[in-house]
Amino acid sequence: MEQMRMPSALKYELLAKCSTTKARTAILHLPHGPVQLPMFMPVATQASLKGLTPDQLESTGCRLCLNNTYHLGLKPGQATLDAIGGAHKLQSWPHNILTDSGGFQMVSLLKLAKVTEEGVRFLSPHDGSPMLLTPEHSISLQNSIGSDIIMQLDDVIATTSPDLARMEEAMYRSVRWLDRCIAAHKMPESQNLFCIIQGGLDLNLRKECCKEMVARDTPGIAIGGLSGGEAKESYCKVVDTCTSLLPENKPRYVMGIGYPADLLVSVALGADMFDCVWPTRTARFGNAIVPSGMLNLRHASNANSFIPIDDTCGCPACKPKEEGGLGLTRAFIHHIAGKETAAAHILSMHNVWYLLNLMKNARQAILDDRFPEFLRGFFKQLYTDNGKSVERWAVDALKGVGVDLEDMAEPTASATSTIDGEAE
Amino acid sequence: MLAFTILKAATAAAPRLGRLALPGKKIIDTPCFIGNTSRGVVPHLSPDNLHAKTSLGGVYLALEDFIEKSPEAVPPIFQTPSLNNASPLTSYCGLPHDILTILGARRTPPVPCAKANTNTAVSILTSVGFRQVDATDYAAAVQRLKPDIAVGLADIMYDKGQISSKRIDKMGDRTGAWTRTLIQYCQDDDGEKGSLPHIFAPILPIESQLQSYYINQLLDDDLKHQVSGFTVYDAESLLHIPQELSALPRLALSEPNGPTKLLLEISLGVDIFTVPFIGTATDAGIALDFEFPPPSQVNGNSPKPLGTDGWLDEHAADTSPLAPSCECYSCRNHHRAFLHHLLSAREMLAWVLLQIHNHRILDQFFAGVRKSIAKDTFEEDKAAFEKYYEPELRDTTGQGPRVRGYQFKSEGRGEPKKNPKAYGRLDDAREKFAEGVLPSPNADAEDLERAGMGSVVL
Ligand SMILES: [Zn+2]
Ligand SMILES: [Zn+2]
Repeated sequence: MEQMRMPSALKYELLAKCSTTKARTAILHLPHGPVQLPMFMPVATQASLKGLTPDQLESTGCRLCLNNTYHLGLKPGQATLDAIGGAHKLQSWPHNILTDSGGFQMVSLLKLAKVTEEGVRFLSPHDGSPMLLTPEHSISLQNSIGSDIIMQLDDVIATTSPDLARMEEAMYRSVRWLDRCIAAHKMPESQNLFCIIQGGLDLNLRKECCKEMVARDTPGIAIGGLSGGEAKESYCKVVDTCTSLLPENKPRYVMGIGYPADLLVSVALGADMFDCVWPTRTARFGNAIVPSGMLNLRHASNANSFIPIDDTCGCPACKPKEEGGLGLTRAFIHHIAGKETAAAHILSMHNVWYLLNLMKNARQAILDDRFPEFLRGFFKQLYTDNGKSVERWAVDALKGVGVDLEDMAEPTASATSTIDGEAE
Repeated sequence: MLAFTILKAATAAAPRLGRLALPGKKIIDTPCFIGNTSRGVVPHLSPDNLHAKTSLGGVYLALEDFIEKSPEAVPPIFQTPSLNNASPLTSYCGLPHDILTILGARRTPPVPCAKANTNTAVSILTSVGFRQVDATDYAAAVQRLKPDIAVGLADIMYDKGQISSKRIDKMGDRTGAWTRTLIQYCQDDDGEKGSLPHIFAPILPIESQLQSYYINQLLDDDLKHQVSGFTVYDAESLLHIPQELSALPRLALSEPNGPTKLLLEISLGVDIFTVPFIGTATDAGIALDFEFPPPSQVNGNSPKPLGTDGWLDEHAADTSPLAPSCECYSCRNHHRAFLHHLLSAREMLAWVLLQIHNHRILDQFFAGVRKSIAKDTFEEDKAAFEKYYEPELRDTTGQGPRVRGYQFKSEGRGEPKKNPKAYGRLDDAREKFAEGVLPSPNADAEDLERAGMGSVVL
């Protein structure tokens, strides 16, 4: 097989590895500054994150956020992006941006999209005229966006699809499209192309895909096609299998993951980067993420609750006034939730801060080599402190990497809950 | 104690300059404007943005935005734990402690109520519908919430139909009685103010002689020292203020439709405004763009528009600031192309950036007005402004932000839920195109849980 060498615009600097699990912590040096791994990346779909100013997003600790190529391609469009000088200048974001290929959005948002060897055929949402998104188009658009990390166009099939032949075709097609993306990529010195491992839930296909794609030597590697409604046991097996085959010195990004438990289990399985619209989407519905689960601020029980969303939270909304925060109470957020957009801004800030801080604490635990204890503490707060048992999939996945939560576990294997697949 | 100092008295050529000072609050130079709130927030601005990105010295709040739970239950704002005698109003809304608060019964501008006021109560609109609030309940609420300034209840019919002379007679009588009630609630036993709210007595938007009995009462010894300022609903009513009390500050809850009208009201002697057109412009996607005095260079033949319509495609790749010389956060950090993108993508940030910018334009406008008064060039500058700019704000070409809860004209409790909508997996794709939509204002947690939006944790 022909080896394709490509320049890299990032440096992966390993800081520590967990001596029990497969977790690792590192500094990832990117064109717009360093970021710490493992990390969560909030999604600013159309170059803004739920009403937050770049200042506010920065105040949550975020230094790498997502933009969606599909949306930016529609608005403001490639010509405008070229005229302005890319997405950083469009949104005045001085830190890093990651973009997806746009293909997943197309397939999931447009009912009539059809995948051929050439690319994704679809009807223009503007006027219904037939259009085609090829790997070359996707890379060209991402070159115009100027994102620090760009993703290859891949052929994504729902992991729950029973059609193994189609799954195999999609995996090999994704490899072929990776070659076309590498060839089309005009800015390898300033933008890092990540490949996307495909192969559904078939571990042999995943292994074959890892082998093929690792050989292409992209600066980073994503594990794709997950979070589409598969059982979490299957999800964990795929992540575990892939991370074991991936090089140690490259960042590993699992796409579409954002629930706190999913993030930490995935970190334990050796993954480094995650993104999800869930924390900001759920904020819009009045939901706040807290250590014990979720708090719905629209619920009437909050009307007279004069305490912060989470008194351990250091986000601008929860931090007391005396410490320079806003010291907002649940009562006031309840008062404006669903009625003033500021409520969505406040909850988005809180939720993003919460997930970034969770990852920060995870990184510190890995550095201190106490990640297994950190995991136990986290699951205790989320489950056993609330009289619940830790779900079987999480117990089993963590057992596989040497962390025993059996004493907190539910007795029988009954969990078939799914990860909420989300694309914007 | 509230201190209002007249720094420069009004002359034939210019209105007065003043300074409003309250212990622990930002000092406010007048003429000026304060923020106009909805449910305790300046729309689109979370309290951190209000604090860091505007220089507002005060805000106007409406009691009707906080009491939808009464009379069945005690409204939560009254249960705010308050430390060290702090204002529960300020604490509840998470407002910076140095922001001056002015509380009135109704939002400005108010939605007209179908039901008329009575001798003892005014009609209001809460988020769940029309109801009435008793003058004594209003006074008790003011006493409890401790705004820095409370606006007295005024018997005004906002729908402006024909008013019979018999009805007009009642307006002054009622307003007088309600003002007296409010004063009783806002003084200590020994008649001192202490930290109790200062009262701005309303002046009714009717002929002077029709409210002379009420206004003369304000000169009575027991009331004279208890009134700290006046509230007018149109600037012309300022003429009715007795000479003896002319040194008191004047707040206008008027609706100037643009800066030209604002200048007229300033010239009539208003000290403090709420300027509802800032919010109207923001919602319409208009970046205000005017300064006072106007630029001195010749402007060609046609007057300049008062704002830029952010929706116009001509801004799509324009990396210039919203207004050329503006130094607001939005203009220093962002450009027209981004605003245009955000508006057409209907992203909430569009209205955040506009609100920050539009507040700054008014901030600079009032600073210019004060300088001009100080230099005795106000009337001249005002004439130049009227010549330089178009008389009114233009209509927008785009749509405003999505309708928020309070904009629904509620008919009262028990009405069917608006916009019933199920958020399910299958509809995900369509919903994603509608990013930025707030869910139905009446959706509660149980609805959301049923729709799979996460489980309710108590
Ligand atoms: Zn918080
Ligand atoms: Zn500006």
